[in-house]
Amino acid sequence: MRTLVEVVACRGPGGRTVLPVVRAGGQYAVRRTGPGTVHLVATAFGPLGGDDVTVRLVVEEGARLCVRSVAAAVALPSRGAARPSVQRIRATVAGELDLAPEPTVVAARARHVAELEAELGPDGVLTAAEQVLLGRRGEEPGRWTGTTRVVRAGRPLLHTTVDLGPGAPAWLPPVAPRAYASTVHTGSDERPVATGEDAVRLPLPGGWTATAWGTELHRVAGAVAGLTAPERETA
Amino acid sequence: MTAALLTLADSRLPAGGHTHSGGVEQAIAAGVVHDPATLTAFLRRRLHTAGAVAAGLAAAATALSSSGRHRGQVPFPVALSPASCSSGESPAPASSELVAALLSLDAEADARTPSPALRAASRQQGRGLVRVGRRAWPSPVWDALPERPHSPLALGVAAAVAGLTPRDAAAAAAYLSVSGPATAAQRLLAMDPLAVAALTARLAPEIDEVATADGVPAAADPLLDLLAEVHAARKDRFFAS
Repeated sequence: MRTLVEVVACRGPGGRTVLPVVRAGGQYAVRRTGPGTVHLVATAFGPLGGDDVTVRLVVEEGARLCVRSVAAAVALPSRGAARPSVQRIRATVAGELDLAPEPTVVAARARHVAELEAELGPDGVLTAAEQVLLGRRGEEPGRWTGTTRVVRAGRPLLHTTVDLGPGAPAWLPPVAPRAYASTVHTGSDERPVATGEDAVRLPLPGGWTATAWGTELHRVAGAVAGLTAPERETA
Repeated sequence: MTAALLTLADSRLPAGGHTHSGGVEQAIAAGVVHDPATLTAFLRRRLHTAGAVAAGLAAAATALSSSGRHRGQVPFPVALSPASCSSGESPAPASSELVAALLSLDAEADARTPSPALRAASRQQGRGLVRVGRRAWPSPVWDALPERPHSPLALGVAAAVAGLTPRDAAAAAAYLSVSGPATAAQRLLAMDPLAVAALTARLAPEIDEVATADGVPAAADPLLDLLAEVHAARKDRFFAS
């Protein structure tokens, strides 16, 4: 199934964010759940192998957009050929974008590819969080490949691909985590390096990227939260 | 293949690589590497992440610096870097174009290396390689590099001015991504040199596979970032990285 989601956020009268475009089809519906906030609602089971989702987000200057989802996505294998499910997020951000969907769970034998490509204007602010769990309880891990590319005014700030699960060439014992979480922020809050147990925060121009991995997603998400909480300033 | 390639990949080349362990010193301290099996796993994850990125960057740098001789051999992803590659068909970039293209590629290397410790290690080795490369293969092309380039860029330029191909540069980068850490592990763990030589040799097919991949991948390993940052904060380290 092919799915296209489009949301455009602009600065409206009085500085409030308005959403002149909120469109979805395929396996997602989009609900406005607050001023400048939308929730993605899965209308079909999955994604299944072969499903292809593109999310286009435009946040104009002076606007602020929050994107959430209502439930974890469970990526399931395709029945025939082993095709991955793909989710591409393309964001153009002159204002402020806060992207934090619920976790992606990759079931056994499933393969999920997640891409985030963000083009930021000179004053664009981006916060993008992702949480991944390989395998539902008691089953073998699936495979997840996530690429993040953040460009500001033509200059690449961050470009990484993390490949986890069976078949990923660098997913090797003794460090082959089932749970992974990462948040990238740029635009308003530069932070120095911080390290924790199976967790690391690295500086970006005007921001940071924090990553943690382990066996249980709630602990991993907690480790990222510990590295990104505003009050904890450890270097 | 020429002797120039062997020279570039030779650990005796005084480019300063021997002072870096490629993360293996901290991997040993963290208990991740302690025997030949765990060293093999560490080398494979490094090869398929940092090694693959270095190979792609080195090949791209060679293609850019070779006055068009090898253009098309490595399809550099045009979309990644409009400033450097919008003119993929231009046969011989003017010097200022080459400067801009290499600077843009250096920014791509930074974006793929978010760890400050790993950036510093790469630029330190890049500078060392430029120093020896300038003497070994004098060429005005060296002047097109930024002052402290990322190591794969220096390697790519060295390959170009030594008459090698982008594939050669990628092969050297991929090989060096495991040979350095392997030697460091051998020294730190007092491992049997024959065992380390054998496990490195058995990685050859995977090294070749990484060296012949297209484009500039962005494969990352957060474990290597963490190890590098913990290592950089240590006072008692033996290797620089």
